[in-house]
Amino acid sequence: MKSFFKKIVQFFLKLFTKITLWRHKPYVIAVSGSTNKTTIKDYILKFLREKYPPSPRLRRAGGEYENVRGNPKSYNTEIGLPLAILYLESGDSSAMKWLKVLTRAKMIALFSRKFPKKLVLELGVEEKGDMKPLLEMVSPKVAIITNIEGSYTYSNSSLEQIFNEMKLLVEKIPENGHVLLNWDDERVKSLAEFARAKVITYGFSEGADARVKNLKTDAQGQTFDFEFGGEKESVRIKKYGRHFVSAWMAAKVVKSIL
Amino acid sequence: MSDDKIINLSPIKEMELRASRIPGVVSLAQGVPSFDTPEAVKRAAIEAIERGKVAKYSLAPGTLEFRETIAQNLERENKFFDFESEIIATAGSIEAITATLLAILEPGDEVLIPDPTYTSYQATIKVARGAPVFVPLDEENRWSFDIEKFERLITPRTKAFLFCNPNNPTGTIFTRNQLHALAQLAIKHNLYILSDEVYKDFVFDSDERLYSLGELRGIRDRLVYIFSFSKAYAMTGWRIAYLATHQKLAKKILAVHDALVTCAPVVSQYAGMAALELANEDVLKFKEYFQKRRDLTCKRLDKLSHVFEYQKPDSSYFVFPKIKDGILKKVASDGGSWEFAIQLLEKAKVATVPGVAFGPSGENHIRMCFGRSEEDINIAFDRLEKFF
Repeated sequence: MKSFFKKIVQFFLKLFTKITLWRHKPYVIAVSGSTNKTTIKDYILKFLREKYPPSPRLRRAGGEYENVRGNPKSYNTEIGLPLAILYLESGDSSAMKWLKVLTRAKMIALFSRKFPKKLVLELGVEEKGDMKPLLEMVSPKVAIITNIEGSYTYSNSSLEQIFNEMKLLVEKIPENGHVLLNWDDERVKSLAEFARAKVITYGFSEGADARVKNLKTDAQGQTFDFEFGGEKESVRIKKYGRHFVSAWMAAKVVKSIL
Repeated sequence: MSDDKIINLSPIKEMELRASRIPGVVSLAQGVPSFDTPEAVKRAAIEAIERGKVAKYSLAPGTLEFRETIAQNLERENKFFDFESEIIATAGSIEAITATLLAILEPGDEVLIPDPTYTSYQATIKVARGAPVFVPLDEENRWSFDIEKFERLITPRTKAFLFCNPNNPTGTIFTRNQLHALAQLAIKHNLYILSDEVYKDFVFDSDERLYSLGELRGIRDRLVYIFSFSKAYAMTGWRIAYLATHQKLAKKILAVHDALVTCAPVVSQYAGMAALELANEDVLKFKEYFQKRRDLTCKRLDKLSHVFEYQKPDSSYFVFPKIKDGILKKVASDGGSWEFAIQLLEKAKVATVPGVAFGPSGENHIRMCFGRSEEDINIAFDRLEKFF
């Protein structure tokens, strides 16, 4: 019964999401991969909001009416993604709450007048078959693939399955779009051959289109040099960890191409 | 083996064992919350089991998703760690502490611990062939640190300072200034600091977040930040915690952790991830309950003012009342808190933990846990009132 109800919720959420996206046609930037999606999404949101600041009126109205919006709370699955797009809270385990969510989703789909111009969406993929339903809802113009890594000590086929899921996303990006690939990850690197869109690679390794060099850590955070498109920039971020640098780099590339 | 190297069963567990043999005992001894694990956490664990994700070892430091979620949560608290190389999921905080001490201590090295503090710290230091050295807290000043006393106890063998903030059993929150003074001492004398912040979410009478040394960038190469899901998310049985530290030290600790447990229980890693993502409202609810129970416990202690004097705890779920001299001598033939607690257990059928278990300064005190239900607290105090 529970799973039947879940299927109904999924069906209608998907339907209302598709109607909403068809009506408003936002520019969708998709972030996918095993880890680091949220940090990349957050940096992209930060950079794009700097580049496309909301009018004072929109700013007063709050998140729901921003020019650029991302998944709240990393909602990124078949049920989570529609909630992210429609900017709705989960109904958790309450059937009543889910009915309210669906009612609100219907109102947004049919009557909403304002909608963000750009959506930055995490696409959560854990196993075979996860990507297809997500791509049935959204048609991204930009895709960023962070990495394809496992959490277990044994070798298994699951990483190859994730690779195939990522391939679906890369193939979906149209010719006038962009695919950003993490050059430090061998599996991600090899996705380039499946892209119709322009591929931009980023990473710490030699050969990346956008590259970080001279990464140093001190008491204030991390410093590094960023090279992209013939330009060089010295950067300081206050956070520790290579993943922040990697995320910063990917977001910076997105900012420069939009 | 000399006495100071012998590892005994924790007095808290010993008291619980004794209590379990006496029918009808109400226990205020072990620090176990009365609540069940939040529903969302249980559901996530069941889903992970059903999806076949938990049967095999994870990577030694834990699944990437769990560590990434931890890093994101730490970031919200102004603590920045690299989830790939600086965070390790552990089988409870005690494993995090043991693995760290085994990684940094040479036999005979000294580790400073507050007096009084959590009983098992002494045992973990001994497991790592180190020597615990007590630094008395200042009871007159709400059990705060006396930094001068602290520095006087540092010797060439001192390797680390291990403490719990907020402190168990006193419920003390160490101030920002005290923590900074500790950090300066650690830099001056080249010491590691192990900061166990298991009770960080239960700070009463304030909406302010607990200040942590994990936020201090200047000591990140010598700090090990430790957090357990046991208390905040009512998950004591899941045995899941994590540590965060600079990557160089993390690498050393990881080797020990791998040798000890291979990896933290994978099902518990999924549960921990769900706790961080979905159970924050439950934590706030628990905190409200604990605050009410603290107030109830203090109210009931007020009625026993001829027996105990106490300081209202600012945090955790423990109160650490001092037993008045006359009463102590009357109840305990040897005049100690151990005998006193045994008498309470056997005659009043109320289990508590003798203060001496937490260090010499804890003598003449007992620890009472108000993590238990209001009903248990009321029954326990009814019995104590009758007994005294």
